[in-house]
Amino acid sequence: MAKRIAIVEDDPDQRANYADAIAKKGYSVNAYGSRAEALAGFDAALPDLVILDIILGEEIDAGFQLCRELLSREANLPVIFLTERIDEIDKISGLRLGAWDYLPKPISLDYLAERISSLLRINEARDNTGPQRQSNAKTIGDLSLDQDALLVSWKGQRIDLSGTEVRMLAKLVRIPGNAVSYETLMNATMQSLVTNNTINTHMRNIRKKFEKLDNSFSCIKSEYGFGYRWSQ
Amino acid sequence: MLAALRGRFRGPRLGTKLAVMGLALLVVPWFSYQQLVEMERLLVQGQSQAQLLTAEGISTLFNGRDDLFNDLPLNLEDFEPLYAQPLTGNIRLDGQTEDWGSSDQLQYLAFGSPEGTADADFELLLGERDDYLYVFMRIRDQSVVYRDPEYLRLDNADHIQLNFIRADGEDGRVSLVFQSSNVMTGFVMDDQWRYAASGVADNRIQGALLPSGDEVLVEFRFPLALLGSRRYFGMTFVDVDDASARDTVRRTRTLPSAGKESFDLVVLGTPEVRNIVQGLGYSGARILVIDNQARVRAEAGAIQSPVANASEPTDGLDLSALFSDIRPWLHRLLTGENFTPSTQPTTSEENSAAARVIRESLNGAPIALRNRISKEQEMILAAHPIVSAEKVIGTVVVEQDIDNILKFQRTSLEQVLLLSVLSLVAVFVALLAFAGRLAWRIGSLRQEASAAIDHYGRLRRAELKSEINAGDEIGDLSRSVSNMLEKLHQHNTFLESMPRTLRHEINNPLNTLSTSLQNLAEEFPQVDDSKYLASAKRGVNRIGSIVQNLADAANLEESLEAEELEAVDLDNFLRSYVSNCAIAHSQTRMIYAGPNEPAIAMIADFRIEQLMDKLVDNAVDFHRKGTAIRIQLDCFAETLQISVSNRGPVMNEAVLKSAFDSMVSHRGPQNRLHFGLGLYVVRVIAEHHGGVAKAVNLPDSSGVAMVVQLPVAETEARLDAIRP
Repeated sequence: MAKRIAIVEDDPDQRANYADAIAKKGYSVNAYGSRAEALAGFDAALPDLVILDIILGEEIDAGFQLCRELLSREANLPVIFLTERIDEIDKISGLRLGAWDYLPKPISLDYLAERISSLLRINEARDNTGPQRQSNAKTIGDLSLDQDALLVSWKGQRIDLSGTEVRMLAKLVRIPGNAVSYETLMNATMQSLVTNNTINTHMRNIRKKFEKLDNSFSCIKSEYGFGYRWSQ
Repeated sequence: MLAALRGRFRGPRLGTKLAVMGLALLVVPWFSYQQLVEMERLLVQGQSQAQLLTAEGISTLFNGRDDLFNDLPLNLEDFEPLYAQPLTGNIRLDGQTEDWGSSDQLQYLAFGSPEGTADADFELLLGERDDYLYVFMRIRDQSVVYRDPEYLRLDNADHIQLNFIRADGEDGRVSLVFQSSNVMTGFVMDDQWRYAASGVADNRIQGALLPSGDEVLVEFRFPLALLGSRRYFGMTFVDVDDASARDTVRRTRTLPSAGKESFDLVVLGTPEVRNIVQGLGYSGARILVIDNQARVRAEAGAIQSPVANASEPTDGLDLSALFSDIRPWLHRLLTGENFTPSTQPTTSEENSAAARVIRESLNGAPIALRNRISKEQEMILAAHPIVSAEKVIGTVVVEQDIDNILKFQRTSLEQVLLLSVLSLVAVFVALLAFAGRLAWRIGSLRQEASAAIDHYGRLRRAELKSEINAGDEIGDLSRSVSNMLEKLHQHNTFLESMPRTLRHEINNPLNTLSTSLQNLAEEFPQVDDSKYLASAKRGVNRIGSIVQNLADAANLEESLEAEELEAVDLDNFLRSYVSNCAIAHSQTRMIYAGPNEPAIAMIADFRIEQLMDKLVDNAVDFHRKGTAIRIQLDCFAETLQISVSNRGPVMNEAVLKSAFDSMVSHRGPQNRLHFGLGLYVVRVIAEHHGGVAKAVNLPDSSGVAMVVQLPVAETEARLDAIRP
């Protein structure tokens, strides 16, 4: 049975484009134009994955409200935010609401599709918890990173990183001690239009999340003018 | 130089202007002085009028009284007129002058030789009292020859001859003979002046003589009635020196020329006129009755001498002296005329004023004149003609000083000056204080207003604090400027939010476009290869990056606020940055020159990296191919200076100044991806770190250097400097 994807986007053209592109990948798509519509649809049946625009019509935080609503019903529901800007996410922190990832507009439909499939796979992997699950976790020193399940832990403790952050971290630790250029990291975000600042912002967020657990964390080093390096 | 000076000097300051306007107050003393002069004129005029009225009143007493004036021959030119002075006390006929009044006031008339030292010369005093004429003579005579009673003839001894016209019109002849008892006896004489006409002495005539050394002092009197109404007479001293020969040696006459068979004259004040006038005299005024031959016929009263002034206290004297000193100067300053009366009047001037008064009034016109006698004393002369049968027969002159007016004027002048000076000082002080306060208020308002907008035209504050509650125009100004700032702030807020709104508004259609293109390529795989689709995708990307850049720049300051500053060793930072940069820009050589010692600054490392990116991009864009880009760090006491220099075209003054402004690009039209935001970002980041950014040409004009100065970190911060 095809996975059901819900799209909430007020702009009809974008909504149609998303719906078409995702439907082509073999998913069943429900597209909604407003929060009320979406809520009505969710009442009927919860989808397997939700793509939310934050601003819906006049309601500037309708996306967040919907996210909160959905997660209260199904805590493990994967949610992807489509947004104008990363720092808005930073400010209101949609991720702290439990969203899995966010993508800035304009988005690449290929990346979107890839992200959807990856999140569904991750959710599946998480659902099949227990020892039977094949762990793809990679261990570098104190760091353990499971890119498939988007699970990261440091010295045995779980760290909540967004999908983008996990991918960037994975690129960084691929060959520990090697400097990774901004360009590589930009590719890892799977977004179009990424600047050094975006990378820096992501990296700072990652670093902060580690430091929250471990005050002496200093594995992520800046290679000013080039990129970053993981060194332990 | 001159132009620069003129450029700097736009006009006088507010205080200067007000002070200059304050000078307008100088009209106050001017007006006061004018008023004072006018008042003086009025007072003088009033007194003149009063004097004229007095003169008129007195003159009416004489109107029609020709008889009082026509007792003298009309023409006196042939004679030397003699005047008899009125005597105040009783006269003892003793040959001495004590009872004639104080000796310095006695005016002797000299007759005889011009030197007055020859034998038989005499000096004469005439006085009048109680209808008697008193005569005092001082005769030079070495040997007095008395009358010898043996002789009948009276002319063979020293004697005095009087000739006159009797009341009945006949010639009168009287000899006064020196008796050996030093008594004088009068005899009516015959035509030859030899024998007495009658044997009896005329006892109406009394006298005494007093030989003293080579002088004989003679004093005698006779009734005025003897002379008749015309009252003129001649006098001759007949000198006999040899007691045995008894010849007449010399004759001294009151007649000027010896050959003339006529009398010398003694003109006496008309007693009747004097009697009338005497009762009218009042203090401080002198009244003169003058006939139409300009002869004084009567006089009454005296001018008050200004001695009273001497009793004033010394400082008052000094003050009045001071004022009389500055008065002419002041007068000239305030009225533009010379203050002529200050010059000491000469006798001729005095005479001319008096003469003019008499002349005019004798012509029939009443006149009053002001006459300055001395520096301290001024007179008013008023004259009114005496008329009889439509003919002027004389004039009454009333002379009075205007000392009290002058005194009043002087005190008023002092007061005016004092008040003017005081009020000027007070007003000046008030004006200066006011101007100072005003200037200070405007100055502080100006300062605050200009501080509200920074060097780059950014709004620092949306309202003013100073003077906002003041009720006057400055308050209005402050409120209106504040209002303007507020509107500007609203506009600025709108402008600031513009890029974000724009991005929001553009990103959605852009997203539509982008996803549509992707779906299109998906749906029609043959289109995917089309170069048009590729260029459409590039266009979408470019628009996206443009909007992104704009929004980033607009939000830069806001996002900088969120950055945390860390202590970073800039030397280390730059060293690693440059080495990484060399990899990225493999076409260009990069040289780093640093101090090789920790240079700690409090920075947000990503932002400084961003700053360096922009500087290096800029240097790479402008450097001449084959030359190296030099990045240098210099440590100073307070600042760390990063300079990125490249060889290439130099910038002119205007470009150097505006290089770091927003939306200013000097790259030319071919570089479409630049919006002049790069160096603007550098400046904003540098300023956020408390530093400055500037562009300079290299000293040898071989290129330009972009210089960023950042403050050195505090000492304790340097200790825990961490990364990299």
